[in-house]
Amino acid sequence: MPEGDGYDYKIEAKAYTASSSGASVSPAESPDQELYHSKSWWTTYVFSQDAKYIGIQYFCAATAIAVLGLVLSVLMRVQLAYPGLNVLDPSTYYQAITMHGMIMVIFFLTALFLGGFGNFLIPLMCGARDMVFPYVNMMSFWIFLLSLLVLVASYLVPGGPTGAGWTLYPPQVITAGTPGNLWGLVLMLVSIVLFVVGFTMGGLNYVITVLQARTRGMTLMRMPLSVWGIFVATIIALLAFPALLVGGLMLLLDTVLGTSFYMPAIIATSNFGNEVSTEGGSPLLFQHLFWFFGHPEVYIVALPAFGIVSDLISVHARRNIFGYRMMVWAIIAIAALSFIVWAHHMYIAGFTPWFGFFFASTTLMIAIPTGIKMYNWLLTLWRGNIRFTVPMLFALAFFITFLNGGLTGMFMGNVGTDIALSDTYFVVAHFHFTIGIAPVLVVFGAVYHWFPLATGRMLDEGLGKIHFWITFVGAYMIYFPMHYQGLQGVPRRYFEMYNSSQASSSGLNEFITIVTIVVALSQLIFFYNIINSARAGKKAKKNPWDANSLEWQTPEMPPKHGNWGRTLPVVYRWPYDFNVPGASKDYIPQNVSPSQVRGAKAERT
Amino acid sequence: MNIFVVILFLAVVVGTVLFHILSPWWFTPLASNWSSIDNAILITFWVTGFVFVALGLFLVYCLWKYQYKKNRKVEYKPENKSLEAILVVVSAIGVIALLAPGLSVWNDYIKVPKGAAKVEVLSYQWGWNFRLPGEDGALGKTSIHNITDDNPYGLDLNDPNGKDDLLVQDADLHLQVGVDVEFLLRSIDVLHNFYVPEFRAKMDMVPGMITFYWFTPTKTGEYEILCAELCGTGHYAMLGTVVVEEESDYSNWLAQQTSFEQILAQNKIKNKTIQLAEK
Amino acid sequence: MNRSTLPKGWDGFAHDWAADQKVFKGMSWGKAMMWIFLLSDTFIFSCLLISLLTGRASTAVSWPDASVVFGLEVFGVSVPLLLIAIMTFVLISSSGTMAIAVKYGYEKNRKLCTIFLLLTALCGAAFVSMQAFEWTKLIVHEGVSPWGNPFGAEQFGAFFFMITGFHGTHVTIGVIFLLIMARKVWRGDFDSGRRGYFTTMKSDYLAIEIMGLYWHFVDLVWVFIFAFFYLW
Ligand code: HEM
Ligand SMILES: [Cu+2]
Ligand SMILES: [Cu+2]
Repeated sequence: MPEGDGYDYKIEAKAYTASSSGASVSPAESPDQELYHSKSWWTTYVFSQDAKYIGIQYFCAATAIAVLGLVLSVLMRVQLAYPGLNVLDPSTYYQAITMHGMIMVIFFLTALFLGGFGNFLIPLMCGARDMVFPYVNMMSFWIFLLSLLVLVASYLVPGGPTGAGWTLYPPQVITAGTPGNLWGLVLMLVSIVLFVVGFTMGGLNYVITVLQARTRGMTLMRMPLSVWGIFVATIIALLAFPALLVGGLMLLLDTVLGTSFYMPAIIATSNFGNEVSTEGGSPLLFQHLFWFFGHPEVYIVALPAFGIVSDLISVHARRNIFGYRMMVWAIIAIAALSFIVWAHHMYIAGFTPWFGFFFASTTLMIAIPTGIKMYNWLLTLWRGNIRFTVPMLFALAFFITFLNGGLTGMFMGNVGTDIALSDTYFVVAHFHFTIGIAPVLVVFGAVYHWFPLATGRMLDEGLGKIHFWITFVGAYMIYFPMHYQGLQGVPRRYFEMYNSSQASSSGLNEFITIVTIVVALSQLIFFYNIINSARAGKKAKKNPWDANSLEWQTPEMPPKHGNWGRTLPVVYRWPYDFNVPGASKDYIPQNVSPSQVRGAKAERT
Repeated sequence: MNIFVVILFLAVVVGTVLFHILSPWWFTPLASNWSSIDNAILITFWVTGFVFVALGLFLVYCLWKYQYKKNRKVEYKPENKSLEAILVVVSAIGVIALLAPGLSVWNDYIKVPKGAAKVEVLSYQWGWNFRLPGEDGALGKTSIHNITDDNPYGLDLNDPNGKDDLLVQDADLHLQVGVDVEFLLRSIDVLHNFYVPEFRAKMDMVPGMITFYWFTPTKTGEYEILCAELCGTGHYAMLGTVVVEEESDYSNWLAQQTSFEQILAQNKIKNKTIQLAEK
Repeated sequence: MNRSTLPKGWDGFAHDWAADQKVFKGMSWGKAMMWIFLLSDTFIFSCLLISLLTGRASTAVSWPDASVVFGLEVFGVSVPLLLIAIMTFVLISSSGTMAIAVKYGYEKNRKLCTIFLLLTALCGAAFVSMQAFEWTKLIVHEGVSPWGNPFGAEQFGAFFFMITGFHGTHVTIGVIFLLIMARKVWRGDFDSGRRGYFTTMKSDYLAIEIMGLYWHFVDLVWVFIFAFFYLW
């Protein structure tokens, strides 16, 4: 075992230029770049260029903004169930759904999975010392932070944030019937542009680190699925965000310069208080651009979650991931398909009817690779040796939640059934299951799993279990019944929950709100657990979960700057060698050479 | 303690199914010909429900059977090509089974039957207007540039088809039961969506475009019109009514509507009086 | 894995790609990053140009005739597309000077490398100036603006200013970096191992090649923009 070899690893730039340290393998270092060394407290902890710190900074910033998103959702739910309390009025309600949707999808989950987990995990899991361009990586975080500030600032400008829904459809977003149609919208768009710029800086790092900076022996087909998920999601993002950028740019020009990219001749007052004099623009163009970004976006959130959950399941079930190759190909197939399905969000948007056939077919095809992933997770558990640790519980909760959400996708993605269900609460239920609850459950699982690596201490197991029960059961109870409101025909984005003589869901409505409040409050347990455990939690032993992937094999835990001490690890196997017949332990880390585990019958990977 | 987790997941799977079966919340009663949409949804419920139960119960089984035991023999098997191939094929068959009814519904949805009665729906922030063809059965041409206070629909004054069009400047539409209707959807400002839950059908109304859908009302009664595309702060209150009635009631209602010609004439008189008053 | 032991055909390709450490063998991090960035940027320009195509198809008024809008009067004779021909020529030539600068960079010929970098920057600056001239002419003399256009559809102006502006920004950024590079080469930073002001990292002549990639890309994009606006 490589643990505790006891070499001293004072980090010196010189030592990294070539590792002639007597090993029989040729130098494992890439000579491309020396490692950046911080000199002061500021550059170590604040303007840090170390991917691990940047990852944690991303995590904290994204979580902080998510709290705002959560508070907004509670306000909305209270308004829907108890309109008498008047916590919101129509304008503030629509501003709340817009901010909530935008924050949760982009500023929380995208930033968290790619910026947070990507930064923290990619270099460690690939056996790199850091991201390839640490300076650019640092800038990425600060620009992201700036975009958050701009976003929040829209609550301070005249008119408040835009209230057009997170889809920002023109002409509505520009006309006077919508709150925040000038300053709020401008700040929203500026914030998005900043986010994209910042993300691109980080994203190039993640991609190039995976492509060009892996350690010796780390072939692509030996990378943990977490890395695969984050890597492919980053590529999707680099190709999908351009559409958002261009769509947003044109929207910005329509707003401030009065151009007519998206604006046909209409009779409405604009943000300047006069009649809109526009002509010949196409509102559908924006929808195409938005969803060309928007659909891949859901996979930007989902694929890292898929990857991470695969690792959680495999490690805690003590069994190799089943069908690793298929899992990788499924990720790639989903990513590729995600670029040719965007118009399933537009079945009833009024486009050429013939598109419906094409987009319904491509959309349902995604069910096949997604199905593969579901089966393979199950087949990993099957004949395994399942430890019911907190990360495993969250992974299982993810499975059920995503199974449910994925299956309701078969209703939304199919053009004939979507006619009745689109724009109803069925949609709200579906997308909260798939890109709301399911990925968040993975985030929780991942935090419980990797917390020891980041801090050297374990999160409290008991509190974790309480948090798990309330969050999972609660979230399921919030969203599952909403499907049935959707069947009744209750439209989404209604300030007053629609109740007709034929379709009443009162009772249910109040129930959902009460559960929401409970779930929201239960997150305090999680925050308490994090803060308390970081200070005074149980000290974690090295590699506490007996995992194989490289991030647990660093000389120290938490890993120091440069991650690997004097020499980079050499990888001999895939990260899923659990319970290999003939091996003495039930796991073989990736950097254990075959000679160290003679007799173990690991398959060649 | 693990057994509680197993029970939890069992409860989630069983509870989901029970909720589905026992739920008092379900489709609003259908009042149009689009039972095929409901049927496609039901087929999808059966197929996806089967998958959910199968995978869910298998999960529960695994959790129960393979709880951690120190010396459990764990299978080491990275791959099983034939099993994976079977699963791919089975999923593909499931997908096709779902796609077929969906696409066939859509195929009907976009083909308006010949001779369907035309009704124009004109939406604005935040309300509905309607226009019916007069005796000639044809709607006159319109353009947003023609819209004035006197000509709220922007009808082309030179188009003879438009003269007898009936203008219903009120969010109250009547339809004759059993007669196919084609809705021609217009918006003068932002996106809206003409949606009546009982009819199942919907379509966005896009300024600058005329979109459409068709259906046959099959049950008399009064139904609520909802807007199903966010259109500003008044979106949730953009309601209206559709009354589906027998032929005689419908003709009575129709007889009370004013035509474009009549409205123009009234306006002329009104304007004259205003001018006189100003003098 | 030794290349000679790779399986044949696609399989070998896949093995080679998936092998350890690097997917693109022998390619530096910086260069790989520029390629991926350009891929992403390609998507931006594609979105812009596809939007132009769809926008153009749906206007209410007809699209103006390019040769009329962009005509230039020289000594009383109107020559269509004259300015734009010069602009395009200048920009394409700058690709040539860039390539020469890269060559001298490889040879560590500091003097000639600097000269050709500066020449490239000069061409770029000339291009941007001519574009500024054309914009002024359109806006001030012809009354074409992003929100109005006497020659036809107003979207023409909107798309024109947006897309050429976006491209012009790329050129301007390129010029700034060319000047920075020229200074570094002249000072000998790449030989002396002097560290970057912001990044505190050393750099070498490879940076010029990476710069060249960007520059050629910007030129290539111009050819498309040129075709979309001026030739059709
Ligand atoms: C317990 C947590 C959450 C609650 C209670 C909640 C509640 C809500 C509510 C009440 C709405 C407005 C529905 C409407 O009026 O149509 C909404 C919309 C939305 N939510 Fe959540 N949400 C939660 C978490 C999330 C998460 C984690 C995401 C991440 C993707 C998310 C994404 C969205 C989006 C994209 C919208 C649509 C906004 C729009 O219509 O423009 N939500 N949510
Ligand atoms: Cu989608
Ligand atoms: Cu509406």
